[in-house]
Amino acid sequence: MIGRSRWTGYALLAPALAAVGFLILYPLYLVIATSFRQGKTLNVLRLSELPFGLANYRTMLASEATWHSVWVTVVYLAGTIGPAFLIGLGTALLLNRAFPGRRWLRSLILLPWAVPGVIVSIVFLWLLDGSFGVINALLRSAGWLATDLAWFANEDTALAAVIVPTVWKAYPFFALTLLASLQSIPASLYEAAQVDGATHWQRFRFITWPGIRAPAMLAAILNTLWALREFDIIYLTTGGGPDRATETLAVRIYQEAFSFFRMGTASALGVLTMAMAVLLVLLSMRTIRREYF
Amino acid sequence: MTMKRVLATLSLLACLGATMAASAQVTTLDFPSWQAEEPGFAEWWKGLVQEYEAKHPGVKVKLYSLPFANYVNQLTVRFSGQNPPDIVHLPSRNFASFASQNWIEPIDDLLKGSDIPGQWSKLQSDMMWQGKTYGVLLLPYGNLLYYNEKILQDAGAKVPTTPTEWLDAMAKTTNRDKGQFGLVTTTAEHPNMFIDAATWVLGERQDWLKGNKYNFTDPGVVAAVDQFRKSLSYAPPGTNSAVARQLFIDGKAAFLRDGPWVWATLQKAKPEVRPALKMAQLPFPVITGGASNSLHIPAKLDAQKKKLVWEFIALAATPAWQEKYVQLTGSPAGRLNMINAEQAKTDPHLAAITQAAEKAENLFPTQPALRENYNEFATLFSRAVVRMQSSTQPTDAILANLQKELTAAIPLP
Repeated sequence: MIGRSRWTGYALLAPALAAVGFLILYPLYLVIATSFRQGKTLNVLRLSELPFGLANYRTMLASEATWHSVWVTVVYLAGTIGPAFLIGLGTALLLNRAFPGRRWLRSLILLPWAVPGVIVSIVFLWLLDGSFGVINALLRSAGWLATDLAWFANEDTALAAVIVPTVWKAYPFFALTLLASLQSIPASLYEAAQVDGATHWQRFRFITWPGIRAPAMLAAILNTLWALREFDIIYLTTGGGPDRATETLAVRIYQEAFSFFRMGTASALGVLTMAMAVLLVLLSMRTIRREYF
Repeated sequence: MTMKRVLATLSLLACLGATMAASAQVTTLDFPSWQAEEPGFAEWWKGLVQEYEAKHPGVKVKLYSLPFANYVNQLTVRFSGQNPPDIVHLPSRNFASFASQNWIEPIDDLLKGSDIPGQWSKLQSDMMWQGKTYGVLLLPYGNLLYYNEKILQDAGAKVPTTPTEWLDAMAKTTNRDKGQFGLVTTTAEHPNMFIDAATWVLGERQDWLKGNKYNFTDPGVVAAVDQFRKSLSYAPPGTNSAVARQLFIDGKAAFLRDGPWVWATLQKAKPEVRPALKMAQLPFPVITGGASNSLHIPAKLDAQKKKLVWEFIALAATPAWQEKYVQLTGSPAGRLNMINAEQAKTDPHLAAITQAAEKAENLFPTQPALRENYNEFATLFSRAVVRMQSSTQPTDAILANLQKELTAAIPLP
């Protein structure tokens, strides 16, 4: 009887498994298989004509540009997730208080998350424009800037310039997740702490943080994985430049594949990016297990 | 009531069926172009499409615009995904990388039945790849110098006739506090930077290649690039070509180096600015130019569509439409002698663009390996230009490094 119900279960699962296999496993196989094809082509039908070998991996691992892209990716992830989390947390704490217009403000803060990356890129391109941008005008009038600083075109500022719109777009997700968990913390805990004379910091540390830690971790992991594959804001604002200053792995994969026609190298870089994502998930598994299981 | 419902459903199905049958009879030719909304060019393309559709009942040309900045990359993605457009419009400098992938069709047989081989610009030879012709050139051009006469007069500068005079005029007309620049050009990393640099280097009779080897460390090349580097210091930073043109049209810049196609766009300038916007020949001993854009047929198109696309190209190549091309776009056409002496007299700008196109020497690399890998070549080049803009590293060191990078990425046989 148990065996029969197990087969029924598998049969019911089969369509979903087939869909997952087709949509996830097959493309994954294709990327890995392509990464072993040496040579230059963009014609998928001609890929099998190319010689098979490890040359793409050797080239990729020996290339200074690869490790530069890994470094840019790591800085981009850290620069995005840290500030987005802190701004999201601050916003959530603020919106958890009672004040007039709170409901409207809750809806408004979600807006950046809903705005498409293309729009965000255009807005920030103009805000940070070297000659006619509002930010530069303000800095010049305050006497903090003497020249035209093209934030997206300057090697020293470009990475920070792409991080700012990414943070702006990412923080509402943190705010929303953390606000939901803040609302599940019983008010009686805060009242008791106040009676005991706990300071604001003590209340945050011993009541608020344990209450929001699990969703905060999950949101941070999800956002890190999303930021790892972030492409549109970076490509539309800087195209990975100037001089590779913002060339994350995602942008480099695109360049290798669709600008230079090196599909094999692009796929090998794709495998490296997947490995980084898996590593991130494995590192966070302990925290996830502790918080959720 | 039920009967009424049945009748209503049947009528609806009949209507749907009729609509589907009608749409099944229509053949649609997909045609993306970065010029579909460009002043002058848009009118020409739309007129051409209209006449073509009138001559081909049951055929619809779906012309739509894609931004130039990502045009080649978007088309590359479509071709690699086996979903190419039916009518392929390409910047000619990128055509070899498409031909080398066997993505476009050789058209030598079709050309034999036309007058194109004998009546076209010598730059039609740029449409050759490995001995076969892959397209029809639409616009051969020479680069031009656009200037704002009022800014020059106010600054006490004159229209330059040498590179040194040009740099002096840029210096005199730059006033960043007023938001006024001596030059507008591409200063954000983009393959277009190669075209600007080539204007200075080839213009000064230097060359990137010596025989079959890279020649970036040659003192003559370094000196010309140094001048180009200096010119960038008078331009607004982080600007792409579209923004550069807009700034010039808005009257915020003294000079713009660009092709003849900008002339039609200048008509969009405000009435108080427009009279000051003028055109002259570039102040170099050699005028640079090249094949701008071309039409192609994608490979493996079915025979019926291939015939239809060729008929579209053939219509575009007729003397009537080539003449309209010159009139509407203010640019030279692929077909020769589309501007007669009388027109040249009455319209000095047409005379200037014709003169530039006739004199122009091809600025794009003709070496097959560089043609095939033009995007990578120009990308590596533009990164070197960015280094020139944002560092104090000497030009010769930056060019030596570029030569090393190019030798590794695109070795020349």
